[in-house]
Amino acid sequence: MSAPPLHVPLWCKSHYSFLEGASSPGELVETAQQLGLPALALTDRDGVYGVVRAHMRAKELGLPLRIGAELTVADGSRIVLLVADRRGYAHLCRLITAGRRRSPKGESRVEWAEVCAHAPGLLALWGGENSRLAEAGGVESVAAPLREAFGDRLYALLARHRRPGDAFRERRLRARAAHYGLPLVAATEVLYHAPPRRRLQDVLTCIRHGVTLATAGRRIRANAEHGLRAPQDFARLYADVPQALARTLEVAARCPFSLTELRYRYPSERLPDGTTSAQRLQQLTLDGARARYPAGVPAAVRRQLEKELGLVRELEYDGYFLTMWEIVRFCREQGILCQGRGSAANSAVCYCLGITAIDPVRMGLLFERFLSKERAEPPDIDLDIEHDRREEVIQHVYAKYGRSHAAMVANFIRYRARSAVRDVGKVLGMPATELDRLARLVSPYGPPVPEESSAAGFDPGLRLHQDLLQLVAEIEDVPRHLSIHPGGFLLGHEPVHDLVPIENAAMAGRTVIQWDKHDVEDLGLFKVDLLGLGALNLVHRCFDLIVEHGGPPWSLAAIPPRDEPTFRMIRAADTVGVFQIESRAQIAMLPRLRPRDYYDLVIEISLVRPGPITGGMVHPYLRRRTGEEAVTYPHPSLEPILKKTLGIPLFQEQVMQLAVVAADYTPGEADQLRRDMAAWRKQGRIERHRERLISRMQRKGIAPEFAERVFEQIRGFGEYGFPESHAASFALIAYATAWLKCHHPAAFLCALLNAQPMGFYSPAALVGDARRHQVEVRCIDVRYSAWECRLEPAAGGGEGFAVRMGLRFVKGLAVDDAERIAAAREKEGFASVQDCADRAALGEGALARLAESGAFESLHAHRREALWTALGVVREEGSRLPLEHREPAARFAALSDFETIHWDYEFTGHSPRGHPLEPLRRELTRMGLPDATAVAAMEDGSMVDYAGIVLCRQRPSTANGTTFMTLEDETGYVNLVVWERVWNEFHVVAKTTNFLGASGRLQVQAGVVHLVAESLWAPALGRRPHSARSRDFR
Amino acid sequence: MDRMACVDAPALPLQLLLRSHPGWAEQPVAVVDRDLPQGVLQWVNERARARRILPGMRYAAALGLAHDLHAGVVAAPVVEAAVAELVDRLQDFSPAVEASAREPGVFWLDASGLEHLYASLEAWAAALEDALGAAGFRARAVVGFTRFGCYAAARGGARRLVFADAAQERAHLRAVAIDRVGFEPALRDALRKLGITELGAFADLPPAGVKRHFGAATHELQRWVRGEQGAALDPRPARQAVEERRLYDVPEPDRTALLGVLEGFLQTILERLCACRQALAALRIDWVLDDGTAGETRLEPAAPSLDAGQVHALVRLCFESLVFTAGALELGMQAQGVAASTRQLELFRAQPRRELAAANRALAQVRARLGEGAVRGAALQEGHLPEACFAWRPFGRLEAAAAREVALRPLVRRLYAPPRALPGMGGLGPVEEVVGPHVVAGGWWSQEVVRAYHFVRTRDGRWSWIYHDRVRGRWFLHGEVE
Repeated sequence: MSAPPLHVPLWCKSHYSFLEGASSPGELVETAQQLGLPALALTDRDGVYGVVRAHMRAKELGLPLRIGAELTVADGSRIVLLVADRRGYAHLCRLITAGRRRSPKGESRVEWAEVCAHAPGLLALWGGENSRLAEAGGVESVAAPLREAFGDRLYALLARHRRPGDAFRERRLRARAAHYGLPLVAATEVLYHAPPRRRLQDVLTCIRHGVTLATAGRRIRANAEHGLRAPQDFARLYADVPQALARTLEVAARCPFSLTELRYRYPSERLPDGTTSAQRLQQLTLDGARARYPAGVPAAVRRQLEKELGLVRELEYDGYFLTMWEIVRFCREQGILCQGRGSAANSAVCYCLGITAIDPVRMGLLFERFLSKERAEPPDIDLDIEHDRREEVIQHVYAKYGRSHAAMVANFIRYRARSAVRDVGKVLGMPATELDRLARLVSPYGPPVPEESSAAGFDPGLRLHQDLLQLVAEIEDVPRHLSIHPGGFLLGHEPVHDLVPIENAAMAGRTVIQWDKHDVEDLGLFKVDLLGLGALNLVHRCFDLIVEHGGPPWSLAAIPPRDEPTFRMIRAADTVGVFQIESRAQIAMLPRLRPRDYYDLVIEISLVRPGPITGGMVHPYLRRRTGEEAVTYPHPSLEPILKKTLGIPLFQEQVMQLAVVAADYTPGEADQLRRDMAAWRKQGRIERHRERLISRMQRKGIAPEFAERVFEQIRGFGEYGFPESHAASFALIAYATAWLKCHHPAAFLCALLNAQPMGFYSPAALVGDARRHQVEVRCIDVRYSAWECRLEPAAGGGEGFAVRMGLRFVKGLAVDDAERIAAAREKEGFASVQDCADRAALGEGALARLAESGAFESLHAHRREALWTALGVVREEGSRLPLEHREPAARFAALSDFETIHWDYEFTGHSPRGHPLEPLRRELTRMGLPDATAVAAMEDGSMVDYAGIVLCRQRPSTANGTTFMTLEDETGYVNLVVWERVWNEFHVVAKTTNFLGASGRLQVQAGVVHLVAESLWAPALGRRPHSARSRDFR
Repeated sequence: MDRMACVDAPALPLQLLLRSHPGWAEQPVAVVDRDLPQGVLQWVNERARARRILPGMRYAAALGLAHDLHAGVVAAPVVEAAVAELVDRLQDFSPAVEASAREPGVFWLDASGLEHLYASLEAWAAALEDALGAAGFRARAVVGFTRFGCYAAARGGARRLVFADAAQERAHLRAVAIDRVGFEPALRDALRKLGITELGAFADLPPAGVKRHFGAATHELQRWVRGEQGAALDPRPARQAVEERRLYDVPEPDRTALLGVLEGFLQTILERLCACRQALAALRIDWVLDDGTAGETRLEPAAPSLDAGQVHALVRLCFESLVFTAGALELGMQAQGVAASTRQLELFRAQPRRELAAANRALAQVRARLGEGAVRGAALQEGHLPEACFAWRPFGRLEAAAAREVALRPLVRRLYAPPRALPGMGGLGPVEEVVGPHVVAGGWWSQEVVRAYHFVRTRDGRWSWIYHDRVRGRWFLHGEVE
């Protein structure tokens, strides 16, 4: 029996044809290879989103991949285009870009004339469903120009899906193909790699149309004939037209284009004086080095610079460094704070160019982590930019390089368990409330497990519930739509739209390419990351405030590096508001680590991470640091690597070096290890290193237990371990914010409040902390407050400052209202509520909000009366004379202290007048409940009953179900440890009460106080204090 | 002095939800405004409150507090039907009952003089509460003097209460919390901010100030609270006993005589309906025969009607189809009326040429003779299976035909329902030509179907439409090509 004739599937849509295709590019490629097909063409709808993944997989398997797309034309019909050569690929990308850019997000429409204009280098397959060649109506106006543009590269696509109407449509298509002389080519519209995936395709279709399966009707496909077919099946289906079948091979042969043909050049800076990029980079680097080392560039630095510049020149990365330098220069010129982070901090060139702020030579950072010849992949420089002004930098990049040469990198929003439960369940017709119950119980990663579905009341024996769980598992990781990367740019010397289509992002003024960062990395393209950082915004605002109020101008570089008061404050864990070291966990660690210098901060930041915690590195490190444990090394060769962290690996770089030195990993293997560490959660790829690492370490004489532990640590690093360079960059900002808090507490608070939302604490907690530090915080007042918080001279005429809260904290007040208040007040102070209403043209809502927040208290002492007045105020446009209203006076009860603070919290989210528990302290004391200061003074092991306002609830994945809570009162904080058993018993009150009581035993270790709760309760008070929203489980 | 009563069935939608799900009684339960995670809880039971689940929360947030929370939407028609049922029951206790248009579950009743029928007004209120309780509704009654006074007392949570005089009612009203009465949330919140939490304090605010600060509607509301405003009841018309019945001392075997009696009943009923501006929507005829058997039948005109001729014809047709096995001992006729709609009458006049009215009358006669389900119509629908491309639906009224363009005319087929099983592909005889297969596969989420359809031409030249059911492994004849 002879082998069946082969064919190439020419019309395949992966799940990157959003909510249409049901298989990944990888699955299509793998199945094609398994079926023995000679090639496969990927033709996603209006895009090339999946081609890189298909290309990479096809390259691994040795399967030729053909590239194309199914385009939607303005008349609603479709045509499949396949790429013959590089020019054709550029044409396809341009065509898709044109269709996408003119259409709303998620849609695309090209004109027939554009298709014809971009024909060179492309083949067209015309036919199938939604094609004008097969449907009723005139076709001459389209067929003739297509025939002329594509010539013999235009084919009639003969699609057979065994549907009742196919025969009729085919008759019409064949007649027209004969009329226009179009050769027939056979193809089925492949929507999944195998028929069992048909169910998911039905579900995706329903999601796209917003219908259920029961009501989908003919929106879903009639049968399961849209999978990849084995050669014998396909040959049987087209047995009557063997020439159409054979032509699939001909078409594939005419489309040899591969992504390996893409040649990418990074944009070259314009160098009008005739110097080369390399010369320019060298000059700038040396200039920067002289500025960085005014006393003379150390020899080690000089050597490092020469080495780095040589490598940069050899790899032709000069343009990339010049671009980063240019962006940093733009930021400096515009007064925008920025700082490079990530592996770029390992580069002395980046340091000298001002891109990063850490001297890598002095810190002994590993340059190879940033750039290596063996790795042959582009460097990755992440630039942190102060959050409020990042858009200026992004628009500068667009303006400098043009929309055609710069576009942001995409991010695919994919189905995760929760979104999958909701969308799939809805399609199955299940009540949304039931689905929500399950969605809340499932883990964000991986499909629901039986315990979760049972807990949500789902019956594993019920067919509907089985379908749901199976489909949820199948849909996981399927992309739902395109989003935008937080700050990744692709820049190109040639237009980017010749490389990859560009489309509109949801955000106005942004354009995005059709590939995500993994695609860009896989193709070795250069990406520039411009990331927003709230802490830089805070620092900048604080510097400005200091200068505005007579202080010296500061910069990040000018802050004294070893300021003892600052480190004293840090050691005392007095770090509310300080970047990176303010969280509950960091605050608990600080008294134990007791940082004394900058490098200790680098370690502090790196230590409180899931990687070191799960790797069991924290306690050994602390013991060695305090001398309780000797510093030893498992092998003498590891001492140079682990010396600075006392023999315990804490940084990602150390793990890589360990692999190289202890397990003889090549640089390439080490880099693969780094990538696998980052991706372990999804693919479990780290496991493949286990055997290799452990056996090689043992061969070098390292004890098996240590080898095993090192592997566990490596695995732990997959959970967001920090590279040292990254921690070093963050530690700089952490130190700067700590120094500002220590020496300019009022300006720090003011800047921090104006930079909100950011950080770990609510404005109420920040204000409370500042008040405990004797910073005077003044209430919102229409006579003094601007939109933002401001500094005012402190009472008593000293040199200090008080913080005047800004109108931005009045809930419901618009910035326009605040501006009108300020403008009216500038002309003349307000005499009354009516006067303010008249001259600032405030509406009743704004007046009520101001009255409720107490902003009229200096005009009308009684807040309820002010509110009564505000509600009835009648404004006469253009009149300066307040209207008289004669009516009997209404009498209202004055607010008590408790109510005053309650109103402050309700209407402004904070209270400078006091803490919500202050008015209750007498009652609390009567109940035998101490305040936080008293608790902190108690001895280890004391039994304590305590009540406070919940600031945060956290359950780290590393804590085996233990929940940590921070409670606050007017004197400070109390940290609770709630074991899983206790949480389960008291979870309702624990989750729902923000004024919470806890009874338990005090645990005092190294100055760190924890109350280990044995019971939780709602304090039996008649009044419930208001509180700011707690930060829960984030 | 006239007495007025207010009956409050608190959280009526929640009561209805629990009535329809008795198994939820021991669980936390909430009524949501829509079946979505973002749905807002409108009413919650005590078990939910114990878990700190409160009205106004989002369903998703409440679930975080109780994974076993049961929630459901109670549709407006369900509430309306319950209100109608309650009005019906309350009309057993007072001729004038008014249901609140704003708050389902609140009713006002005229209680004047009822102490003479019952031992006292307390006894009247107790009997009323008991009757509603027996019907599955929890309710409380307050008897007072003003509409707002007794409403406030009932909503204020007072157990059965009868005010002795107006002053007592007024004093009670002043202490009622504003939260308990149905003030608009915005007004309620604004008053709370001003420290006004009881009706008395609200009543004491300067009226001119209330008008200026809160507007005319609130001012009007204040007048109600102050007792300066009142309104008479706007009761639902009392039930018309639209029923006729005759008992025979001697069994009546003569069908002609019985028909004559029914026609007499009908005439009387139509006159009575007409008097209260209602049209006949449905009739029920029931009987008891001398041999101990009993029966009933129901008929409906094509549209609510007062047309005596048309309805008489329906009654005749219906009666002729009945078989009486013995003489009649009892014969009754009950009518269901609805407000007469002039629009329905207009419809008959709009299309005189098609005589749709006559056709509809004819269809009504068919229904009368063969039953309600006798008239059905095919409606097109989207589906892949042949039988899913249309559905037989109860046929309402015949409307004017509207032709539409069809792009691809299907082969005319006579469908077999259900398809006929065949012993094999050749079950129709020698096959000379086969076209196909066309595969229809789907329904995996309920009843999986995989059919491979073929057109086959048999020796006699007939084209048949057959399929192989791959799930059942059998061949079926589904239709013929004509």
